[in-house]
Amino acid sequence: MRFPRPVDSTLHGVVDYSAGSLLMTAFPRLAGISGTQAGRQVRVAGAIHAGYSTLTKYPLGVVKAIPFPAHLALDAAGALALAATPFVTGQYKRGRSQWVPHVALCLFELSSLAITDPTGRGDFHGNVEAVREANQEDPHRKIYDGRRAVRPVAA
Amino acid sequence: MRATVWSGRNTVQVENVPDPKILNDRDAIVRITSTAICGSDLHLYDGYVPTVKKGDILGHEFMGEVVETGRGVSNLKAGDRVVVPFPIACGNCWSCEHELYALCENSNPNAHLAEKMFGHATAGIFGYSHLTGGYAGGQSEYARVPFADVGPIKIEDDLTDEQVLFLSDIFPTGFMGAEFCEISGGESIAVFGAGPVGQFAIASAVLLGAEQVIAIDQYDYRLQMAVNQAGATDVINFGEDASIVEQLKELTGGRGPDAVIDAVGMEATHGHGLLHTYDRVKQATRSESDRGHALRDAILACRPGGIVSVIGVYGGLMDKFPTGAFMNKGLTMKTGQCHVHRYAKRLYEHIRNGDIDPSFVVTHRVGLDVAPDAYETFKHKQDECVKVVLKP
Repeated sequence: MRFPRPVDSTLHGVVDYSAGSLLMTAFPRLAGISGTQAGRQVRVAGAIHAGYSTLTKYPLGVVKAIPFPAHLALDAAGALALAATPFVTGQYKRGRSQWVPHVALCLFELSSLAITDPTGRGDFHGNVEAVREANQEDPHRKIYDGRRAVRPVAA
Repeated sequence: MRATVWSGRNTVQVENVPDPKILNDRDAIVRITSTAICGSDLHLYDGYVPTVKKGDILGHEFMGEVVETGRGVSNLKAGDRVVVPFPIACGNCWSCEHELYALCENSNPNAHLAEKMFGHATAGIFGYSHLTGGYAGGQSEYARVPFADVGPIKIEDDLTDEQVLFLSDIFPTGFMGAEFCEISGGESIAVFGAGPVGQFAIASAVLLGAEQVIAIDQYDYRLQMAVNQAGATDVINFGEDASIVEQLKELTGGRGPDAVIDAVGMEATHGHGLLHTYDRVKQATRSESDRGHALRDAILACRPGGIVSVIGVYGGLMDKFPTGAFMNKGLTMKTGQCHVHRYAKRLYEHIRNGDIDPSFVVTHRVGLDVAPDAYETFKHKQDECVKVVLKP
């Protein structure tokens, strides 16, 4: 059985903007890291996430420049980088609050990616090949080589 | 018999079900030779139309051969080839006498459900939820046709199924949308949506003598069909540039189209970022039934004093309806499910005369057993799919 990936590009975009906004605003306070280095890192991560979301080629993108699969790759790389940051800087030694939010956010992001359809189509589950084989028409020829099917009859 | 049944959101199955029987004197049983998947079937498929139940047989575009008639059906006999209009109309009530067949007052046994939602009941429709009567649909081998002495269009020549099948719905629907625009020659008409109904709205506007017909969609292959076969003069691909209103003004000398046809309906997918997000979230949480981008833009784009023709299907409620633009620009809105019976003979004559060949929209012709994959292919616009005809 195929692993279910019901999240399409639009729903993924909704999560992108919601999560990005939350990380930039309330999340550091809710996680108890407001005003700390960890809090600033989370805010920057949220801003970057929301930033490249606006540049993504999906329905919620503003400037449609980054292909959706590339956006997903950035998500994965960003999540891993965020999780690694406290250990690279050494701030993990200052207590769990300095690294647990980073790792938790990374796991959330990776879970979200696992159920996102990389083609952006979401719940698509059809066998196009079976339809193509059964089809008695040639769609491409019909669309591109077909002649005008109507003529004006009333003025 | 085999039939395509709804079995949950985004799922249909082809199953064995009991054969239909004559229940009333005015019934006929039709052996189906061709049936089609309609864009509005996707609203059921996607789960946006209430009162659909597991096991309901889908399909409201079908034709075939009469195999049995009730005692009250004198105009048809076994062996007749017929196209069946999607609205079920008694032919005797006030609405039918005024050619408002899609508003028949006698054909919807679940009128109380529709009255709760719409204030009044509408006609019964084949295979289109219990809100419209719970009638078994035509994506099957056989169908019971109520009021068969009123509805079926007898086909008495050797035109192919694909040439006449769409008299059941999408050709008259597109034509009604164009007729609403009061075309008398020389008008500029914009059509939102180049799906099957949009293609027929475009072709009908051409047929009626519009000078400029602008097709709007996000799929190039559909826009190509609109130009090559349906006769569109201009296209707008909103996937490349979402500023539809501005583009329509540019194409019409700054004034806007004389009339705009919404052939999209409740699942519009325009690229207006935040508004699309808002609608998508509200629709997903069932706090809004209709995503209205196309209708909003149609109202904003139409020239002052113009006509907005709505033939795309809406199901309940939408937010952010631009009442200010609608009122202050003095627009007229005309809408409705198509009164197929009103147009059938006239359009059949156009087909017979060679004025239009409706088979141009058929990109997929497959067996009934392929219906589940065909639904997905059609919904997700795969394989350059415009219209699927199923052969039971």
